Amino acid sequence: MSDLPKKNKHSSLQKEDPNLRGTLISVLLLGTFIAVSWFGVFAIFVSR
Amino acid sequence: MHLHKYEKIWLIFGVGSLLLFLTIIGFGAFYKGLQPQSHMMTIDPENVEAYDAFKQENLGVTKVNDQKYIVNVVATAFNFDLGKNEDGTPLKEIRIPKGATVLFQVTTKDVVHGFSIAGTNVNMMVEPGYISSYETKLDKYGEFTLLCNEYCGLGHHLMSTKVEVY
Repeated sequence: MSDLPKKNKHSSLQKEDPNLRGTLISVLLLGTFIAVSWFGVFAIFVSR
Repeated sequence: MHLHKYEKIWLIFGVGSLLLFLTIIGFGAFYKGLQPQSHMMTIDPENVEAYDAFKQENLGVTKVNDQKYIVNVVATAFNFDLGKNEDGTPLKEIRIPKGATVLFQVTTKDVVHGFSIAGTNVNMMVEPGYISSYETKLDKYGEFTLLCNEYCGLGHHLMSTKVEVY
């Protein structure tokens, strides 16, 4: 129990990165969707 | 500044797509010469006949040579004026041979209209005071519908014409 404040101090000095895997995956999924639909429409425009 | 490893990935993705899209726009504008369809060409909407292309006898399809055609149209609620034939009846159809380059020049005397040939890239907004033009090659046989795709009033849905590519 006595080392609890110590731990807190330690973690505030060396912050661990939050886990952003889900964020990364959803951002990339949305980005890919936007890019794929944009290039789909662009291909129709160029081919006509 | 500390950036999360994943944050760097989506920043690179975002900035990369921004650069890619700017490059595509720049290529279209500066190399291919694409421009907005109503491109600084103004006209007096109350006197469109002062402009040669929109004189009554110059409306409709004009053949420049086998490979080049010009189509001048005055859009008004709720009609595309394509001129008249010899006996004075208004023309109701545009006929263009396949593979020819066509320059569409369109203006309006009253409100904003659309000029869209469904299934092709011909799709312009026609604003009073401006000349909208678009040059294209029609290289598919068939009958297409030229229609107004900007709501222009009660008869908007009646505003359409046939375009035949033969």
